[in-house]
Amino acid sequence: MSLYLRQVGVVVWKDLLLELRTRERIAAMAAFAVLSGVLFSFATDRSVVRAQDIAAGLIWMTIVFDGLLGIGRTFHIEAEDAAMQGVLMSPAPKDAIFLGKAISNFALLYAVALLVLGVFMLFFGLEIGSSPGAVLLALGLGSLGFVALGTLFAAVSSGTRMGETVLPILVFPLLVPMVIYGAGATGRLLAGRPVAEVAGNLKMLAAFALVALAAGAGLFRFVVED
Amino acid sequence: MIVAAEQERALAASVHESVGTGAELVVEAKGLVREYGAVIAVDGIDLTLVRGDFLTVFGPNGAGKSSLLKMLGGMMRATSGTVSIGGVPLDFSDGEWRRRVGMLSHQGFLYQQLTAEENLRFYGKLFGLDDLDRRVRARLERVGLADRAHFAVRKLSHGMRQRLALARALLHDPELVLLDEPYTGLDPAAASVLRGVLQELRADRRTVVMVTHNLAEGLALATRVAIQVRGRFAWQGVRADIDELRFERLYHQVVDDGAGVRA
Repeated sequence: MSLYLRQVGVVVWKDLLLELRTRERIAAMAAFAVLSGVLFSFATDRSVVRAQDIAAGLIWMTIVFDGLLGIGRTFHIEAEDAAMQGVLMSPAPKDAIFLGKAISNFALLYAVALLVLGVFMLFFGLEIGSSPGAVLLALGLGSLGFVALGTLFAAVSSGTRMGETVLPILVFPLLVPMVIYGAGATGRLLAGRPVAEVAGNLKMLAAFALVALAAGAGLFRFVVED
Repeated sequence: MIVAAEQERALAASVHESVGTGAELVVEAKGLVREYGAVIAVDGIDLTLVRGDFLTVFGPNGAGKSSLLKMLGGMMRATSGTVSIGGVPLDFSDGEWRRRVGMLSHQGFLYQQLTAEENLRFYGKLFGLDDLDRRVRARLERVGLADRAHFAVRKLSHGMRQRLALARALLHDPELVLLDEPYTGLDPAAASVLRGVLQELRADRRTVVMVTHNLAEGLALATRVAIQVRGRFAWQGVRADIDELRFERLYHQVVDDGAGVRA
């Protein structure tokens, strides 16, 4: 394995190990996912709107808010004892550090996205449709794009006084395409429509994730350097 | 009256002379300036260090010593001026020059929830070090933390964390070691470990820049000494040319007089 991949890997290992030890983010994100599912199920009148018509949008909005809750704190563990400074003083390329953090955030967010899906299926009485793989793919691609932007902007906001307050203001406008294509694909798939009908949405989600990852990897150094 | 800038030039000239005779140039800083808004923390420092130099920088709080160290270590950009490590200009890329620098700062750069060993392994892998098991074991033993290898950093005392931070800074065998107030908060046992490690660095002819308020510790191993006041080296000289008592008097005189000039 090349040194670059080992450097990416050790950042992933460190982040996931820290999360496993503290459970700081996953506990809050999981609780938020469950509470959102419960509240939305009480807040919607199923005699007026059908569950499958609104569930996809609510699922994606829950993922977005939940993601901000967790990804926003990704640099808090780095701020303690200025650990990030030590990482930045190593010869590891900044894009490797970014990718490592994005991958660990992806693992976290994707797990939560699956939980959100499960919670909404339970409380809204949804079925996963005829293409469960495509539903999981849509959530995976959306989560990947989200963490790429989220990790970059969490680094930006961690250097500001307003911190987590600034993060949604920076990230929300950029997430609009992801929510549109993600909710569109998920809604149709949950309604049992064929995968071919959402192929364009999935491609757009993949393109969004790739562009966000490339932009994040390229811009990260400018954000974290003094 | 001896103007500090003239001293810097004279000392640099003598160092350049020794470089010419085969000494290996490790650090070269020219016209380093660091401004924080209207405040000038470092004000045009020139510095040349060859292999084996042990420079101790003294100075009052707010003199810009930590800022100087951060710029030498590539942790902070200079507002103007340049720094070269081993002839390679610091360009803030992820260059190989980072392997040549080890820094012990006010903060340890340690993850509190990871164990001492996990922290060192993490940094070792970031540096792409070979033989990591042996290296981590050796460093922990050297700083007296072998029996605490599996303790989370948050459960270690301040002195232990400082020793672990030292092990981290030296894990990759850097040729330039930067130490910012390394004796602060250490108990006598921890200070003794640090002293021993510094003696080894000196014997191994590593280049060291140490910032400290502790005159005795700072002078003990130094080959060169500087007093930084208001961002400038108000005085610098060769350690062998001045005894501790005279230096203490000189220090107070220089600090009281302000930057740039001494009587």
